[in-house]
Parts: sequence; C-alpha cells; structure tokens
Amino acid sequence: MRESRLMLLQYITALLAVALVAVHLLTQGIIYPYSTAISFGTILSLYRNGLYAIFLEALLVVVLVHGFNGVRIILHEWRQTAPWSRWVDIGTVVAIVATVAFGSKTVILAVFGGASG
Amino acid sequence: MKDLKLVVQRFDPVKDASPKMVEYAVPKREGMTVLDALLYARDYVDHSIGLRFSCRQASCGSCGMKINGRPRLACYTQVEELGGEKVVAQPMDNFAIIKDLVTDLGSFFDKHKAVTPRLVREDGEEQERPTGEYLMTPGELSKVLQFTYCIKCGLCTSSCPTVATDERYPGPQALTQAYRYSADARDQGGAERIAALDNSHGVWRCHFAGSCSYVCPKGVDPALGIQLLKRHVMTGKPPHAKDEASKVWKAPESGR
Amino acid sequence: MSSEGGGKARNRRGLSGWLNPYHYNFERWAYVFQRVTGIAILAYVIGHLGDTSFFVGGPIGTGPSQSSWTFISGIVENSFGHLILVLVVLVVIFHGTNGLRLIASEMGLILGRPASIEYPYKPRSLRLGQRALIWAAIILAVVGAAWAAMILFGGLA
Ligand code: SF4
Repeated sequence: MRESRLMLLQYITALLAVALVAVHLLTQGIIYPYSTAISFGTILSLYRNGLYAIFLEALLVVVLVHGFNGVRIILHEWRQTAPWSRWVDIGTVVAIVATVAFGSKTVILAVFGGASG
Repeated sequence: MKDLKLVVQRFDPVKDASPKMVEYAVPKREGMTVLDALLYARDYVDHSIGLRFSCRQASCGSCGMKINGRPRLACYTQVEELGGEKVVAQPMDNFAIIKDLVTDLGSFFDKHKAVTPRLVREDGEEQERPTGEYLMTPGELSKVLQFTYCIKCGLCTSSCPTVATDERYPGPQALTQAYRYSADARDQGGAERIAALDNSHGVWRCHFAGSCSYVCPKGVDPALGIQLLKRHVMTGKPPHAKDEASKVWKAPESGR
Repeated sequence: MSSEGGGKARNRRGLSGWLNPYHYNFERWAYVFQRVTGIAILAYVIGHLGDTSFFVGGPIGTGPSQSSWTFISGIVENSFGHLILVLVVLVVIFHGTNGLRLIASEMGLILGRPASIEYPYKPRSLRLGQRALIWAAIILAVVGAAWAAMILFGGLA
C-alpha cells in the first residue's frame, strides 16, 4: 500500500478521534456529574440507547487504529531490517484486530447481554 | 583579554578506543570565528587536529560541526556569540566519524542524488544542444529560490530526529531538494520524484520537529519545503503537470 | 551503507535523538511530547479496555454485571486512579490540539510561502504562528486538566 494512504488514514482517524474524544470527555465530566457518569445504572441505560453504543464502538475503532498505526510508524523509524519491517506491519494488524475485538465484545455484551447481579 | 577555552573532541576510529575531549587555550581576537580558533589550535598547538574547511565564508558547506551542542558552520559562528569563553567542537551527529571533526558525507550525497536533483525534461535533445531558453517568471522563481540556496553542509540532516534512527530516510536536505526541483516551473519529473518518496521510509517519516530549519545556516527552511511537498505526495499530483512546464523560448531574429 | 564501517565510527544519535530535544527549538520539544503522549495514551486506552470490560463481568464475562462493576470501581475510583485520569486529560488534550496543528501544517495550510531571504533570517516554518499554536495546545491542556482535577478532587463530582 502507498504510505500516503496509511497517512491519510492516520489523519482521518486523528480528526475523528478529536471529535469523539471531546464528546467522551464532555459526557464523563460535564454533562453528568462524575459519580452519575460512572454509575452502573447510567452506563447501562446509555448503552441500551443504541446511538451511544455506536458512539463508543466508533471511539474504540478510531482510537485503536490511530494509536497502533502511530506505533507502527515509530517502530519503522526505529529499525529498518526486512524481517523487522514485515513483523511490524503484521503485528500492527494483529494488535488492532485483537484489541478492537476485545473492546467490541464489551460493547456488544453491554447492549445485548442479559444483566446479572 | 583572557584566552578562549577551545575543547575539541579527538577521535581516530582506526587508533582510538573512544573519543576524548581535549582543551586548547587560544588567544582571542575581535571577530574571531570558531574556524579561526580551530585553525589557530591546529597551526600552533597540535597539527594533528582533523578538520575540514574550504571557503571560510559559508559558501562551501565543508566545516559543519556540532558547536556547543548545536550543529553550526564553524566559519559562520563567532566566538563572541557563544559567550566568548568556552567553545566545544564535536563532529556532527548522524554521520560516521572519519577523524576528529571530519565526518563522512557519502551517504548524504547519495540521498541527495537519489531524488533526481536536476531538471527532468522530455526534450532531452534541447537540454544537450539548446536552441533557446526555458523561461521562468519572477513569481515562479520565488517558489523555489529559497531552496536553491542549499550548500549541502549536512547540518539539517545531523539535527534530524528521524535520521537519528532511520537509515533509509532521505533526510531534510534531500526531501527539500525533491520539492525544489518538482516545484520548478521548468521541470517535468515531478510525478516520478513524488512517487519515489511515497513509501514507509519516505517523506512521511518527517514529523515537523523543525530542527532542520532551526540549524540551517543558509535560510533554506527545509521543514517548509518538506511540508509543502507532503500534500503533493498525498494526492500523487506534482506541483504542475508535464505539459504545464515552461516551453522553450527562442529569441526573435534580430535585424542586425 | 557506503559510509559506515571501513575505519569510520558510526555516530547516529539513536533514540536520544527522539527523546532529548536539548539545544534545539521549541517545535522539537513539541515533537517529543507528541510522541511520548501518543504512546502514553495508547497504554491508557489498552488498560481502559480492561477496566471497562468489568461492566460485562470482566474479560470473560457474559453480560452487564453490577457486582463486577462495583468490584472494579473499588479498584480504580480512588485518589491515585483519579490522578491518572487528570494526567490522561492533560496529555489527551495536548496530543489532540497539537495534532491538529501538525495536520494543518503537513497539508501546507499554515506555514507561509517560500520567499526571498532577509538576514538575520528566521525560518518561516518556525515563526510565531506555530509557536502560538503550540502554546495554545499547552494552555488548553492545562485548563482541561485543572477542570478534571476540580471535578475529581474538588467535590464537583
Ligand atoms: S538545507 Fe541548509 S542545513 Fe541542510 S544541507 Fe542545505 S544548507 Fe545545509
């Protein structure tokens, strides 16, 4: 892939992350009192409002893609041997897929899972 | 006047195990540059100090070195502007040391050559045996003029944090020249030059730390050139298309 | 590479070139902080995936669980955890606003144009505009962190 495509991805996820993280900071710190924002009941009702779950899922994907692509860039600048370059690229994809899957599991279970005590 | 304390990093990789700092006392005089001080030490104290210089007027780019921690030209730095008491001269970072203050710029020139730093034209015959001139307006000239002042001293590349670890990165000097030639109204090689920099060790390894522009002694502002280059690499479109390049202008027959 | 080896000594700065901006310009310090804060934020996000997973009963949970959420809250909601949050707010706001400056600059938007040089020369790309934007990022980050501290420590919760 042309590196400029990956850089465009980095810029787009950056801009989206600025917007989404701003919303996240506002909901956690300003829209609700903090103790309400982190209470089980508030979070559950927010998750079950579909829009908020979509927002969290978007935040998850955007931040992790941006973050691991950033680490990929740093690692490429650090060492340049052929195996290193190949494993950095593979590792980046694996890390993104694994962390997004783990975070998505939380979102999906929070929305659809049966509540327990 | 008190003598100047001149500290020079001495290191011959063939003979010495590690660099050592050696101090020389140099009588100061008004207007003395660091190069003057080094030459005094070499001429009157220790003939074996290795250093490279030529023009003594910031035109040749030979005497780049790290002076009091920052890359500078020795001939273009006055002792007085450094406080006038102590001057520490070390070889530039990021280049292999040949001896003392002399560094190997071979890889630096290779990277410069790799960006095709010349006007690329489809009318090669015209370049070899000109029948006229490629015209350039003053506006077109001002887009690249500042970048043409580069003397290839290497200071920018020695200051660059990416070059500090990435051996395949072209470095600020080469990237700036890639922009300088691609943005030149007479050039037709922009598309190829830009495509060659769109890889994982190309233009995107610049993160605009700006140290190159901070240390450049000629006002080239490499960071500006590189940032202006990025948009073209992103879109894949050079600053102008091949058929927009200057045409050959022939002087009208004079009535002589 | 032709230049390294053969009686010459390698002299690349290595990681200190990334991490030690001493002797260099203000923008170089911003570069270092952008990189360090980026890694710190990613580390926090990964940890945050772990703690939020307790909302559904932990890493191997199956659905929303109040007891598991109470358990993790007991671990992270204390002065130390809140101090971390304040620091995260600080670095996130810096990284985000400084990042906007970088994107605009890298697309050639806020740099000025090449022009003739007058001495003493100050590079156009390092003029006041860039500096002001870095300061704006720092100030916004500090204000945001102060706000977060007031919420988390000042009884605004
Ligand atoms: S851009 Fe400036 S610092 Fe870099 S090689 Fe050219 S003259 Fe020297």
